[in-house]
Amino acid sequence: MSKVALSVSRLGKWYAVNDLRYRRSLSELIIQVFAAPFRRKADVRSIHQAPDSIWALRDISFEVQPGRVLGVIGRNGSGKSTLLKILARITTPTEGAAELRGRVGALLEVGTGFHPDLSGRENILLNGTMIGMTPKEVRRREEEIIEFSECADFIDTPVRHYSSGMFMRLAFAVAAHLEAEIMLVDEVLAVGDEAFQQKCKAKIRETALNGRTVLFTSHDMDSIKKICHSCLVLDHGKAVHVGDVDEGIRVYKEICGIPLQPPLNT
Amino acid sequence: MSQTFLIRAIGQQPLLNFGELWAFRHLFYILVWRALRVRYQQTVIGVAWALLQPILYTFVFTVIFGLLMSIPTNGQPYPVFVMSGLAVWLFVAQAFNQASASMFNNAHLINRIYFPRIILILVAIAVALADFLLAFAVLVVLMIWYGIVPTMGALYFLPMMLLAVMTILGLSLWLSALYVPYRDVGHLLPFMTTIWMFLSPVIYPSTLLPPKYQFLYALNPIVVVIDTSRWAFAGGPPPQGWMVAVSCGVAAFLCVTGYWFFRRQEATFADVV
Repeated sequence: MSKVALSVSRLGKWYAVNDLRYRRSLSELIIQVFAAPFRRKADVRSIHQAPDSIWALRDISFEVQPGRVLGVIGRNGSGKSTLLKILARITTPTEGAAELRGRVGALLEVGTGFHPDLSGRENILLNGTMIGMTPKEVRRREEEIIEFSECADFIDTPVRHYSSGMFMRLAFAVAAHLEAEIMLVDEVLAVGDEAFQQKCKAKIRETALNGRTVLFTSHDMDSIKKICHSCLVLDHGKAVHVGDVDEGIRVYKEICGIPLQPPLNT
Repeated sequence: MSQTFLIRAIGQQPLLNFGELWAFRHLFYILVWRALRVRYQQTVIGVAWALLQPILYTFVFTVIFGLLMSIPTNGQPYPVFVMSGLAVWLFVAQAFNQASASMFNNAHLINRIYFPRIILILVAIAVALADFLLAFAVLVVLMIWYGIVPTMGALYFLPMMLLAVMTILGLSLWLSALYVPYRDVGHLLPFMTTIWMFLSPVIYPSTLLPPKYQFLYALNPIVVVIDTSRWAFAGGPPPQGWMVAVSCGVAAFLCVTGYWFFRRQEATFADVV
């Protein structure tokens, strides 16, 4: 029996909407910390029913087989980014658990950690290491990355002199060359002018169809249809559909209130 | 390469995970490299700035506390006396401030990538150690100038620096975790540093203190570290054994409790910072 690459069980994430809820007085915090071992589970739950808070995700469960691509779709605010952030371990779930078998690469944002005073080349090393490559891997792929970014002429100048377009292209180039068994990809990453955007999308497609396990989120149903083997639809933090892609897209369109139409033939 | 990651809910994170720290060692090196590289990137004098600070401090302190106020130093020349304390103190002050603010200063990293957050504290301490080496070089020059030979205390200096690192680590684990939700910690840091400096024998010898307060004094581990530095490099007396023991106890307590608190809070940093 092949082992599941990614399994998520009853995942939930609670957020306090009011910032102040996190910033209790220092004395309350001290009491809370020392009373923790003595507190019963029931007491912990009660804070989650507080009015100015939301469950960004609740009771999410699904599995992804190795080598399959799962599309995650939903309206803005449905919990897609939260789910990806949890799986990328940037934030911790409030309840539930998940298991990921394999190295995880997250392409959710680009340019993390870029320092304006360092050159493009140095930032490649910096950013590459931050997103999970070893320095050796980064050096091995350095030429490819530079070529993909189309910034070769300026690669040794400090990035503070780059245009925003160059910056994003370089950032994406590093991220695009991250290779991991499990990839979490947000198509929002495709940046730049039309030509570069197509390049980005093609690279994302290549990553997804390379036999890796991928969690892919996008607002472009075309991409979803082309790349994904199965589909998860989120609505207000709940999973309303897990399974077939076409059915998932239909459910999503229903949620959005888009009437289903045949494609225009002009 | 097969690794399995288990994501568990808040409050169920494992406490110790050294394997993970080792796996992220590259990130540690890169962040230290970034800090040092950026520091000296655009300044013309570059590295000289790191030397200027201890030199200027020594000069000013020698004039004010050595000459004008004539603080007794048990026969050691004041510049060497103060520099042997300053080299340690400047390291402690820098490491303490940078490490305690490291979560806050690196919020943009915490929000976007996963890594054991303690690495940020270790990076701050490592960068301060790099500057310490330069200050130490100044001390060596002064020792040569005054013809002072290091004593047996030099053997204990490295373990004492380790004690200093543990103290800073313990304190900054507490403070950096508290800084995330409570911004006032940022205002407290410079103030705490100044008070701490006066509570340490930087400008005056620890022998100045009446014996009945020595236990309280020993609760500050930096006291025995500086005393050892003076013993090794400035011809001063060695610190008392029981004071060293008390200091080690304090440092261990700070580290253990600090690490526990930090790990508990770590899961929510990305949500709050």
